[in-house]
Amino acid sequence: MSKKKVEYRKMLNATQGLKNVMGRHFLAIEQAYRDGKPTAWATSGSPVELLYAMDVQPILPENSATISAAQKYSKDFIEIAEAEGFSYDLCSYFKTNVGAVISNADLTKGGTGKPTFMLSTDVICDTHVNWFEVQAERLNVPHYTLDIPHVVSNTNNRQYDYFKKYITEQLYDFFDFIQEITGNEYNEEKAKAISQNSWDLSMVWQDIYELRKAIPCPISTRDTFGGLFPLFTMPGLKEPIKLYKRMYREAKTRVDNGIGALEQEEFRLMFEGIPFWYNLKFFGMLERWNSIIVYEPYTYAFSKYMNPKVTKEMVLSQPIEAMSELMLSFWYIYDLKTRIKKFEETVREWKIDGVLLHENLSCRPNSCGLYDLKRHLMDDYDIPCLLISSDMNDPRKMNETQVINQIESFIEILRKRKKK
Amino acid sequence: MQKIGIFDSGVETPEEIVMAAGFTPYRFFGDPTLQPDRANEHIPPTHCIWTRNLLEQAIKGLDENIVGIIGTHGCDRTNREFDIWIECLNLDFMFFLNSPRKRDNLALNFFINDLKELILRLEEGFNIEITPGKLKDAIITTNKIRKLLKEISDYRKKLVLKGSEFHELVKNAQYQDKNQVLKNLKKKSEELKSIAPFSEKNIKRILLTGSEIDDTEFIKYLESLGFHIVIDDLGVGTKYFWNLVDENSEPIEALAKYHLTKPINSIKYPSYERFNVLQKLAENYKVDGVINIAQKFCEPVLYDHPYLNKKFKELEIPYLFIELTYNRESYNQLSTRFSAFAEII
Ligand code: SF4
Ligand code: SF4
Repeated sequence: MSKKKVEYRKMLNATQGLKNVMGRHFLAIEQAYRDGKPTAWATSGSPVELLYAMDVQPILPENSATISAAQKYSKDFIEIAEAEGFSYDLCSYFKTNVGAVISNADLTKGGTGKPTFMLSTDVICDTHVNWFEVQAERLNVPHYTLDIPHVVSNTNNRQYDYFKKYITEQLYDFFDFIQEITGNEYNEEKAKAISQNSWDLSMVWQDIYELRKAIPCPISTRDTFGGLFPLFTMPGLKEPIKLYKRMYREAKTRVDNGIGALEQEEFRLMFEGIPFWYNLKFFGMLERWNSIIVYEPYTYAFSKYMNPKVTKEMVLSQPIEAMSELMLSFWYIYDLKTRIKKFEETVREWKIDGVLLHENLSCRPNSCGLYDLKRHLMDDYDIPCLLISSDMNDPRKMNETQVINQIESFIEILRKRKKK
Repeated sequence: MQKIGIFDSGVETPEEIVMAAGFTPYRFFGDPTLQPDRANEHIPPTHCIWTRNLLEQAIKGLDENIVGIIGTHGCDRTNREFDIWIECLNLDFMFFLNSPRKRDNLALNFFINDLKELILRLEEGFNIEITPGKLKDAIITTNKIRKLLKEISDYRKKLVLKGSEFHELVKNAQYQDKNQVLKNLKKKSEELKSIAPFSEKNIKRILLTGSEIDDTEFIKYLESLGFHIVIDDLGVGTKYFWNLVDENSEPIEALAKYHLTKPINSIKYPSYERFNVLQKLAENYKVDGVINIAQKFCEPVLYDHPYLNKKFKELEIPYLFIELTYNRESYNQLSTRFSAFAEII
């Protein structure tokens, strides 16, 4: 392999810093346990910023589940959960967490200790609430859930107003819940400072995404799949902002010098869904066909400040109300009509040749609507799409050979289209 | 009479509002003889088979008297699939009701707002007026139905009425004209007074729970194996009539309160409270065993099962959990498991 090739293919140097940043997160968790500081499990999509604002150390079991999968422990943990009676068909993140807790796995294997309390919301899925209800009972800890009204294609503005009000009221109620358990009080000033950091973190991430519009694309999933985690686990802290800024600067230099993450970029793809954490090499393998994923709604979604109504001023002056608004307009819960529109815009702006849609066998919220999305993209906008059936954490549900064959044929289609 | 279709994974839709708007509430039920081929073009095969079945029927063509649809916030399925219904159907009135997941005061106030929005949308959509008086009249009617159903339900316990017959009555009550329902139930209740109980020999008294079970043939199948459903905890069952709506309060608030205080469903929070409901029923009705049925891929019930299993073990009440595929051929494949359960209880 030539020297030049190595330079092109490696991930950003800055991304190496991710290990340290995430390492700090895990150290903070360990430290919290040692010091007897309150800890809370939180589901993704929940307002983790507010936990930081209330001096509670967040732990994100979904993040831990991805670690289990990447370290090849998820299958064993899932099977332990199934032996407890949890169905083969249930969410594999959930089962990974159940198995990891039963096995007393440490943080490096995706273990999560018993928290002071749990916070779930059904903003993304029902599973989040069921998951923590199950685990709160098994571990005997208090559990608070935020009930988020569901927005559909014909929800009107009148509804948005009382939806928001309901969420805001619950957030204040949640503060009372935390105060009762931990004695910690809500401090508006601290919440604002945390909100400022969260906003800044997201904005840099969005800037990084802007750079991915460049041809050749400076950043591949090697940077974004892992790079996403601070958005989940540390929104509101300063450290990840520095990391993202370094990533941005390095990517910008690449763009300015016409350097891409691939030596030869032929096909620009979008990947919709959660990656197969146990098989990340699959994504590297796309390079074989000079293909690069330039956009993943999954990793973009968590930079949550995308709703134009949620301005920086609002985030800083009314952090709770802003949070309520955001929970109704998260990328991952867009109604079908908005989702189709967003995809079409994204394909155009990021100059995408084809879309890979992960039909996730254990994440039904994620795979619901995928068929209609695909049909609209193909029929209305002539965007090539490929459905891949698999699972994010359960390697038993991936047929690698079949997936590779499908991708190969798909690339062939893209190639023919380019020649026309 | 024109009808409003109801797509609901529980019985969380206030039918009284539909009645006060001058329509017959028509809850959609599945047809297990149907293959969801066209629905499968919209919803992946690993998703709840029951909702795919409903979508299949909707795509093939609904009853021409159905002029609108209310989809009700229930599990991830009804929530996420409502947009697909909007996509597949050409109806002007499509409303998604956000029946809250929680049951506290904040949820109650929210639900009241959402019910008001439903009323407004019906009024705007059909150029009608839904007055408190009309709502009250509807509540009085549905309460009469509830009382009659509760009274009739008890004949199951007295071994006068088969579970399957009762199932049919509750099902009819959810899609037929309510005045007709009332008439039929009154007649039935009179008839039952003079019927002698059937023999108790070899009968296993069962509490049936789980996902929505709307195929009466399945209940008949259980009966053919010697089970008698003395009591249930189902939408096509007690959840539909166990409590009454307060007739003396402001009607919208009364309706919201009714739905937030009735026996909890596994799609609501905290779903584990369902165990308390089940425990009471199992003890009061002195059942020989509990059968919990999950429709294939029904996540809410799949999540609850290990907890129920543990709790019933503690109570030493026999408990059987079955995953069911929504077609009649598959019922027979379960006979070994059901028979083994019948033997141990
Ligand atoms: S993978 Fe899907 S079902 Fe599981 S927690 Fe995430 S969104 Fe929910
Ligand atoms: S059977 Fe289960 S998954 Fe299907 S609609 Fe009902 S509650 Fe939802």
